[in-house]
Amino acid sequence: MDLFLQLLVNGFINGSNYALLGIGFGLIFSTTGIVHFAYGSVYTFAAYVAWFLATSFGLALLPSMAGAIVAAVLLGVACYTLLYRPLELRRAPPLIPLIASLGLNIMLENLNAIIFGSGVRSANFASEVYFAGPVFFTSVHIWQVVSCIAVVAALVVFLRKTRYGRAILAMTDDPNMARVVGIDTKKVSYIVFALGSAISAVAATLTLMKDGASTHMGFIAVFMGFVAVIVGGVGSLRGVIAGGFLLGIVESLGLWKISTEWQSSIAFIVLFIMIMLRPQGLFSIARR
Amino acid sequence: MRKFLTAAIAAAAIFMAGPATAQEPPKDPEVFRFGAILAMSGKGDWYGKVMSRAVLLAVDEINARGGVDGIPLEAVIEDHKSGVAKEGVSAMTRLINISGVQAVLTSFSPPTQAIAPIADQQGILVLNGGGTSMALLGLTDMMFHNRTLASDLAIAAAMRAEELGLGNMAQLAWKNDAGESMIAAADPFWEKAGKSIVATEYMEIGAANIDTQVAKIRVSNPDWVALWTFSPETGLALKKLREFGVKVPLIGVEYTGDVKELAGASAEGYEYATDFFAPSAENPWSEQFAKAYRERYGEEPEFYAANYYENVYVLAEAIRRARAEGGAYWNGRKLAEVIRKSPTFPSVYAKEMTYQDNNVALKQVGVFRIENGEPTFQKFIDLNR
Repeated sequence: MDLFLQLLVNGFINGSNYALLGIGFGLIFSTTGIVHFAYGSVYTFAAYVAWFLATSFGLALLPSMAGAIVAAVLLGVACYTLLYRPLELRRAPPLIPLIASLGLNIMLENLNAIIFGSGVRSANFASEVYFAGPVFFTSVHIWQVVSCIAVVAALVVFLRKTRYGRAILAMTDDPNMARVVGIDTKKVSYIVFALGSAISAVAATLTLMKDGASTHMGFIAVFMGFVAVIVGGVGSLRGVIAGGFLLGIVESLGLWKISTEWQSSIAFIVLFIMIMLRPQGLFSIARR
Repeated sequence: MRKFLTAAIAAAAIFMAGPATAQEPPKDPEVFRFGAILAMSGKGDWYGKVMSRAVLLAVDEINARGGVDGIPLEAVIEDHKSGVAKEGVSAMTRLINISGVQAVLTSFSPPTQAIAPIADQQGILVLNGGGTSMALLGLTDMMFHNRTLASDLAIAAAMRAEELGLGNMAQLAWKNDAGESMIAAADPFWEKAGKSIVATEYMEIGAANIDTQVAKIRVSNPDWVALWTFSPETGLALKKLREFGVKVPLIGVEYTGDVKELAGASAEGYEYATDFFAPSAENPWSEQFAKAYRERYGEEPEFYAANYYENVYVLAEAIRRARAEGGAYWNGRKLAEVIRKSPTFPSVYAKEMTYQDNNVALKQVGVFRIENGEPTFQKFIDLNR
């Protein structure tokens, strides 16, 4: 039972990280229709920037995270400006941005290695350890859950209460109709790339703090974000959150009685079951 | 008289020819030219530098003493660009077709694996001193290894745990052939010692999240945790195990700069078994090699240099033994045959080493303990015991 409780807590904590990744990736995907696999490299870049600021300038967690957010926003917007936007203007078929994003991901992954070196990086942010009966967690785990809640709350307010937030919802619902009613879809695309990239930087800084950073960390991050979006339902914020937490908890509790050698298969099993039983996802909105 | 002379010449000819089973005289080449396919460029060029230095040092030493039975050795060094398999294959092809080598020293697992079928087909002796992958085993009878493979390092680590009087073992392993081979080697060793294995957990290479594995290890209440992983995952494992309050000894098989970076203070007290060269008075050859290397290159030799230096001497000794059997001995298959026939060779580590049936030499490995962030040598473990 002790192990069950610990795995449940682990799953919840990991789920908050997957939910964050899913929110950032899903925001871009559901609004622009671009499967931005280079999101993984933006996430990696943010982690390395946070590491650089923390180790070179001795910055604490929040200033390092702020620097990482700025860097990720710049890189994310540059991805849209230099790659996806020209493809949109040329009316490239949907497969082309997908392939371009894979190429961009490889290029940025190498660029990260050239800029920061290919070795692993860690930053010694202060971290406390807590025990609640048989269950263990650290201050980094608390940061992960709190960050997820804070990002979700801020995003809900932004989407419902601001003009651009409502424009994002409209474009997510129907991009053609949004254009017809006068929404500047180009500007909205820039905003979602900036927001999605900023959210990736929050998750990246916390991962740096918890597990360290490596140049290949982006692949699994973007994959988990992608699975959370598909499981939760494209275009649904609550769906992505539910998908992220479901993925984290199933991934952790699924190994309660079976060998951990199956760990990497669990995300795929969740994905396959969801695609077969409910291909529209848990909370999908009807679209296009 | 003519008849007598004819008979005498015939008798002399028969005498000179000897009995029907006598060996043929050796067919000597002008030079024993061999190849060395090393990481001369790319990210791993440090390995190529130390390995090629050691090869050239050994060649010069042997030639200064008159070569092998009076015939000089010559090394042709090629580049696999830090582990690129196709570069290894190109280099092997050049060495065979242009340089006409019968033996090749190789490093890194991917190019070594890639050249194995060529060596097998063309009958070229391959001596590996760097690649550790279990995938290198059984590829060809032409390949021999003087680098301790992962499974033997695991046994050395388990031997260390046994010496420390540790009981229940939990193990965290890479989910690949290296991790599985270490489990396959350590499990029977530990059970034979009458002790228990309380948890066996796996992690992917490149895994960022091992909280589940660590939680399962923690509740298994082990007396020690074996880390059958390599860099950088060993660093993550050390960090997570200590973070989760696992206070028992942690023993593994590697400690690198990346492991140090990731683990930080969590690495304190961690012990690991690895190939280690240290000159000692017990083996004057080791001191002589270290002195010559230091004088020539201004640096202390480490185990990679020692392995390749030793491999040149293994080749020279194999040539000598093959030549003693006469005939067309300068041939990779013949060299491999004499190594298998008599698998014990002088070693620059201990006095001698013996190739096992799997063509891997059993050697002593060093045990280190991390103290104040730095590895401190504890002792040698003899895998031959």
